[in-house]
Amino acid sequence: MSEIAVSLESIGKRFGSVQALRDVSLMIRSREVIGLMGENGSGKSTLLKILAGLIRPDEGNVVVRGRPLTKASFSAAAKAGIGMVFQEQSLLLNLTVAENIFLGCEGEAVRFGLYNWRKLKEMARRQLDKLGCDISPDTITGSLSFAQRQMVELAKVLTIEDRIGVEPIILLDEPTSVLDAEEIDTVLHQIERLRSRASVVIVSHRLDEVLRVADRIYVMTNGQCVGERDARSVDAEDLKRLMLGKHLSEQYRRHDRPARPIENEVRLSLRNLAHRSDYRDISFDLHAGEILGFAGVEGSGRECVCRTVYGAEAPSAGEVLLDGSVIKFDGPADAVKMGIAYVPSERRIEGLVPNMSVRENMTLAHLKVARRGWFLDSQREQKLVSQWVERLRIKTPSNHALAGQLSGGNQQKVVLAKWLIAEHPRLLILDHPLRGLDIGAKAEIFARVRELAQNGISILLIADTLEELLALSDTILVMRDGAITARLPVGDGKPTQMEILENMI
Amino acid sequence: MAKGELEVGGEGVEGPATAALSLSPASLRAILSGVMPAVVLVALILVVGFFAPSFLSLYSFGVLLGESTIILLLAIPQTMVIMIGGIDLSIASIASLASILLALLLPEIGFWAIPAVLVACMAIGATQGYIHVVAQVPSFVVTLAGLGLWSGIALAIAHTTISVDEGYDAVGWLQATVLGIPIAFFGGLALLLALVLVFRRMSIGRYVLAIGLGETAALLSGIRVGRVKILIFTLSGLFAGIAGVAMVARSYAGNPSGADKLLLPSIAAVVIGGTAITGGFGGLGRTLIGVLTVTVLRVGIAIVGIDPGYEPLAYGLVIIGAVALTMDRARISVVK
Repeated sequence: MSEIAVSLESIGKRFGSVQALRDVSLMIRSREVIGLMGENGSGKSTLLKILAGLIRPDEGNVVVRGRPLTKASFSAAAKAGIGMVFQEQSLLLNLTVAENIFLGCEGEAVRFGLYNWRKLKEMARRQLDKLGCDISPDTITGSLSFAQRQMVELAKVLTIEDRIGVEPIILLDEPTSVLDAEEIDTVLHQIERLRSRASVVIVSHRLDEVLRVADRIYVMTNGQCVGERDARSVDAEDLKRLMLGKHLSEQYRRHDRPARPIENEVRLSLRNLAHRSDYRDISFDLHAGEILGFAGVEGSGRECVCRTVYGAEAPSAGEVLLDGSVIKFDGPADAVKMGIAYVPSERRIEGLVPNMSVRENMTLAHLKVARRGWFLDSQREQKLVSQWVERLRIKTPSNHALAGQLSGGNQQKVVLAKWLIAEHPRLLILDHPLRGLDIGAKAEIFARVRELAQNGISILLIADTLEELLALSDTILVMRDGAITARLPVGDGKPTQMEILENMI
Repeated sequence: MAKGELEVGGEGVEGPATAALSLSPASLRAILSGVMPAVVLVALILVVGFFAPSFLSLYSFGVLLGESTIILLLAIPQTMVIMIGGIDLSIASIASLASILLALLLPEIGFWAIPAVLVACMAIGATQGYIHVVAQVPSFVVTLAGLGLWSGIALAIAHTTISVDEGYDAVGWLQATVLGIPIAFFGGLALLLALVLVFRRMSIGRYVLAIGLGETAALLSGIRVGRVKILIFTLSGLFAGIAGVAMVARSYAGNPSGADKLLLPSIAAVVIGGTAITGGFGGLGRTLIGVLTVTVLRVGIAIVGIDPGYEPLAYGLVIIGAVALTMDRARISVVK
């Protein structure tokens, strides 16, 4: 066995009244790829941040090559050879790739405060070559795709090995969560290549990815490390059981369920709707209690259709009818008034205000429920919010906790509660509602969405994967290049993913 | 007062009850940053009192509060504008313009000059807000243009001060004193308290907070962000008008540049109070402390006997020191 690069010894960490990590011990050998799995809120991100020196543990030690890290800081960790690729990317989009790679540690490329551009480019080229990546160092980072930027992030982290002359330990926080299938493959391929020169810790929700690249897998539940498995011999079901812990939640409903009868009443209809170059001639009917899933690749226009129905974009032609009457709105406020709710994909920017409390976020869209006459009734608000925290089983230290401090799944539940707290909406638009959530949280949101549909709420859905789309939708609309290419009812094992895909690309 | 109204963070992660029992360093810091503005104010009063013992008398406090009235009236709306992430550079010139209009109208129509001027100022504020929202011009730019425009108009109407004699009684009562403190100050204080109540207990307060902390999320939650902003800028115009009225009462005259040098002190007051210049965090109660601090500073430097040539120097140094002490950085990740 090769030597141990890093070991964590009995790490413990609390945030307020929440014990985020409890007695976590694990070790990473050199040139080993470790998969770190667990539900949202199980503590894997916290653990990763402790490794990267971003958070100081309350108890325990981080030992790098036999020497404990005494100071918890990003630069101290970097000096010890630990580098992190962030989930929210840390590149500056207005700089060139070369500048980004060496930002803050330009070394020989800067003399007397002046860039030696040729030298800088050369150095950047060398880093990019390590990854076999043909991005030009001159490119402005903002013009790259997300996956390409991920490569640049990796190249940036790899500079550690030249700077300190040891094999780096690279931490990847959900490197694939927002990529499409092909891009994911490229990133995974890179991780496999890294094995020849570094240790890697990868956090991911996608089981197949972790199984593909990792040597060993640690599973976390509720802040504890509950299992260690060899990736070559592990059974996927076994891992799922470990991750879910005691509360084995409901499995996704499979799409081989029989087709669900849909009421006849038409809730929403779009008539030849168009939006400049984003989409055109979109017409469909959505019935009461129906879940309509949009399939399509990025740029197919499905997001824009949803935003138009919510009033966040103005259509350039066509009309939208809600319960039979044409609606004309001037922004989301009108849509909300008419009973349309929207769960956006950018949870932390569009879905909620991270620096406001759980309570304030939950009542933001329908403050009238917390009002008595002209004034807010804080007791009434408190009671209502507590009810929903309980109903959706939101894990939060208190109603006053800042929403941004909750885990992703719990934040999403707060966003859902925001739309359910008043009388139920007539139409619910879900834009990537399961993005970045773990199996447990997904299953919960899943069940909740089904339940809402059963209560007669019509739902427009954009999902991350076809599997999710098939599991939830009653009908699937496939879009390509701004037009609808197919309308497929779901049930009895139909349609297959292949059928959908054929209409997407 | 320090912990109140528009604040989010006073209610920390742990909730008020547990915070009192166990003081983690973070909550200790939060409390410290809450009381710091008051500590700075008291310290400053004591320093001035040390050099000039006569400063620590009821009489001089009365004078001080009277002196602070105009800055208070300008700092109140400035706080609200800054809370939503904007800034209003035009309020002082609107106040100057208001004082001129009032000085011209008082002899003609007496008391009715006051509502007329206030309505005009609200219209000015609303127009600026409308341009900011509809044309998507940053508030800094709109109000910078306003700053030039309104003082230009004031100067064009009256090239110099216009003293008010006939009709002064309509505003004169503002200068009557109770316990040595002018009524105008109590008026400003009452307006402040009313707004604190409104912002704490009515939806608009929540909306302002949400816009300051996350405008996109606020918009997508169905808040009419544009309307809220225009409303805040209208209020800003109204308060500038009230400040203009108070100026006429105080100096028996309208002055086309009378309030101009109070713009920066009013912004300083907001920041010293602990409201983040980037919006979101802060509150009106904090601004009261900031206003008093700035006033003590302005008056104190003269009383202590600092050479007038060094006044701006001392003023600048103390402002930086005060802001460094009172700003709550815990919740702001990047200071710009």
